Amino acid sequence: MTEITLSRRGFLASACCLAAAPIFTPVTFAAMPGDNRFVTIVLRGAMDGLDLVQPYGEAAFAALRPTLALTPEKGLLDLDGHFGLNPAAADLMSLWKGRELAFVHAVSTPYRDQRSHFDGQDMLESGGEHVAAEKTGWLNRTLSVIPRSQARKAIDVNTSTELILSGPNNVDVWASDSNLGTAKDEMQFLMRLYAGDPAFAKAMEEATRANNAAMITEPDGKRGEKIADVATLAGNMLKGDYRIASFSITGWDTHVAQTGQFKRPVQDLAQAINTLKVTLGLEVWSKTVVLAMTEFGRTVRQNGSGGTDHGTGGCAVLAGGAIHGGRILGKWPGIGAGQLLDDRDLMPTADVREIAAAMLYRQFDVTAGDLTGKIFPGLSFDKGSQFLKV
Amino acid sequence: MSLSFQTMAAIRFGYGFRPGEASPQNKDQLLGQVKDAALRAPSFPAGGIDGRHQQIVDLQDRLRELRQSGSDDEVRRKRRKAIQKQVQQGFQRDAYARLMQAVLSPNGFYERLATFWTNHFSTSANKSLPMRMIVPLYEAEAIRPNIGGSFRDLLRVATEHPAMLIYLDQAQSQGPESSRGMKQKKGLNENLGRELLELHTLGAGSGYTQADVRAGAMVLTGLTIDREEMDAVFRPGISEPGRHTVLGVSYGGAKRSRKDYLALLDDLAVHPKTAQHISGKLAAHFISDQPPEEMVTAMADVWKGTDGDLTAVYGAMLDHPAAWRDEGAKARQPFDYVVTGLRALNAGSDNGIAGDFMKADQEDDDDVMAPSKDMAGQDNAMGGDGGAMAPDPANEANSKRRKAFQTARGLGLGALRRMGQPTWLPPSPAGFEENFSAWITASQLAERLAWARRASARFGKDEDPREFLRSTLADAARDETIRVVSQAPSKISGLTLVLASPEFNRR
Repeated sequence: MTEITLSRRGFLASACCLAAAPIFTPVTFAAMPGDNRFVTIVLRGAMDGLDLVQPYGEAAFAALRPTLALTPEKGLLDLDGHFGLNPAAADLMSLWKGRELAFVHAVSTPYRDQRSHFDGQDMLESGGEHVAAEKTGWLNRTLSVIPRSQARKAIDVNTSTELILSGPNNVDVWASDSNLGTAKDEMQFLMRLYAGDPAFAKAMEEATRANNAAMITEPDGKRGEKIADVATLAGNMLKGDYRIASFSITGWDTHVAQTGQFKRPVQDLAQAINTLKVTLGLEVWSKTVVLAMTEFGRTVRQNGSGGTDHGTGGCAVLAGGAIHGGRILGKWPGIGAGQLLDDRDLMPTADVREIAAAMLYRQFDVTAGDLTGKIFPGLSFDKGSQFLKV
Repeated sequence: MSLSFQTMAAIRFGYGFRPGEASPQNKDQLLGQVKDAALRAPSFPAGGIDGRHQQIVDLQDRLRELRQSGSDDEVRRKRRKAIQKQVQQGFQRDAYARLMQAVLSPNGFYERLATFWTNHFSTSANKSLPMRMIVPLYEAEAIRPNIGGSFRDLLRVATEHPAMLIYLDQAQSQGPESSRGMKQKKGLNENLGRELLELHTLGAGSGYTQADVRAGAMVLTGLTIDREEMDAVFRPGISEPGRHTVLGVSYGGAKRSRKDYLALLDDLAVHPKTAQHISGKLAAHFISDQPPEEMVTAMADVWKGTDGDLTAVYGAMLDHPAAWRDEGAKARQPFDYVVTGLRALNAGSDNGIAGDFMKADQEDDDDVMAPSKDMAGQDNAMGGDGGAMAPDPANEANSKRRKAFQTARGLGLGALRRMGQPTWLPPSPAGFEENFSAWITASQLAERLAWARRASARFGKDEDPREFLRSTLADAARDETIRVVSQAPSKISGLTLVLASPEFNRR
């Protein structure tokens, strides 16, 4: 019975598509039930979760981080009496108070040993159990198992496809300030030029599709490349027929003088989430989950130059109208003597992939079997997951 | 079916054809470029290598004066802004000079190698204001003269350059138990130690451990910069005493010296994993994202047999049959695309039409340099002549100049930025992406089409598209491309289609 409903929806969608070629009208999709949204933000460079959400209630903290550790007296924004938020993220406090924001401490990918950014990022985006275990991105593989994935599109807001959304399923890639600007007659020639070259034909087709969608969502074409522009484009696409969006925020690799360096990316993250909320509007925001995650954490001790080196346990950020936030999640391992991994890193107590799996389960009805078999091989996940309670 | 030697040499191993320029006829001529060109100074940095050293020391002085000046905040802010503007303009000029060096040089293979190695030993001018002056110097004095010799020398010079020491935070690292380190309560920074193993030599996943990274960083302590002279220096006082074991070899002693980290670098330079990693990277850059294993092995064997003689390794690559078949497997990266396009359109005497135009407009005065990147970006996004601003009749000459500048910028550095490969500003120490899938995407293609239109409109007025196709792609042009181009509705469209064609974007 479900299937009949689904194919009927599919039929309506294609009928609409033909009429309003080449993209669907946003109205039709807003009218569809069960149209949840999911946004991933990859925090590149390894965010220091202990700087963003500081365990100021922990006795060892100030000693391990003489210049980085803050307290509420020094401007830290208290969250729950034990943890406090870095003041650079002050713009996120209204979401926290509205229970639309949660943090998960002490999470990591299965990547544990060499702390290479590049391998760490690949693991985070491929969703594999070890480096090079998976060649495609987990978010792309997700598209294979979501019912009606043709109608629920995904957009990668970058200049090039990132691993997380790369793979066999069609994904639109668009930079926030791109513009195809092609005359009709030239288009015919370009299609012929690329007809014998599948890679170029595919890129051209995606460019046309994304360009048309962007033109409709922002007909004045006023797009830039700042984080607010990226989030606005993603939000507008999600308001239309896109269901999954992914983009990155860089600048978290803080080896030196972290206090100053940390501000910009934190403010970008806050602005990205707030801009998504405003752009999506109340109704769509209420069906949206944003997951910001990073390749690994950083050392618990600050290093010799006021920064931190590559570590293990990190922090993930959940936001959106669809979550029950206002909570610090995860099992806090402590940072006292004997509690660190290799006497150096925050001990990971959960797999960051489980958070993503829980959100996919909830937002798109992806089965537990698909999640642990196809999307995150090697992950253990079931309905008892703590993250399904968020 | 394979292409002619000249076509493969120009497209796969160089920056494409430039009308009127003789292309290499055999492998010896390609390799000869490496020896010859390494002796000549590039057209950057402005002021030459000695002049730039002086400029950097002067900048350090000015920044120090500014820090120490007691004047009020407003005056200081203005003075800082003026310094920033001047340095930024100098950086733009160097970056233009680098672009035009690649366009005008007859030594395409050498230029491609210079780009490869600058990217392998990545540093970014974004790290600090002085780095805008240091990174161009780094390519000119550390990378370019050393890419035809032994890898050992290249590794030493690149690792010891202030650009690397600043970019990877080595300048801040101190041995935690060193005499100065204990006093200043500073300590180890393991960034350079890590990237040295992961990126510059052995390669990720080659078997080293976190303990090797940390020990390597310990061996490197003492290597820092003299901020006054902006030069590398070894300071025993911040060097971690004792012996440190990296990959089973022990370095150092009670009294530490420069020799310790040089011994580490030398061992890494001839390590079999290094030979394998970098040979594979070279083959992936020139031949295919997945180069044939036997080709990489042949290159690595020559590396091992010659203790890393780079010209011999390039020779092994060119000697392998796989170097001359399966053309078009690689995507041109943005720098490659823009340089090849400008070369193709660069007919005419002297520097050629494109060369003269781009050069004239980078020498323009400060007022014209001022337009923000947003303006250039917006102009570029128009994809043609539909400029956004109406010219002010009272100021027509100025507005014409400004427009010419914006065109030059849109076709040069602005295009590289929009295409995701801004000069000397890689996204990470791993450098720019290599693979086809990173560069041939929807938004990339949109940018390349916009570039092709603009460049054709600006430089192609006297070109016949069919002739242009022949001189630019020679026997690499496919039948369908020849047909489509010859049927194009206008000259400019025809040229645009050549530059937009798959074979022009592949190599």
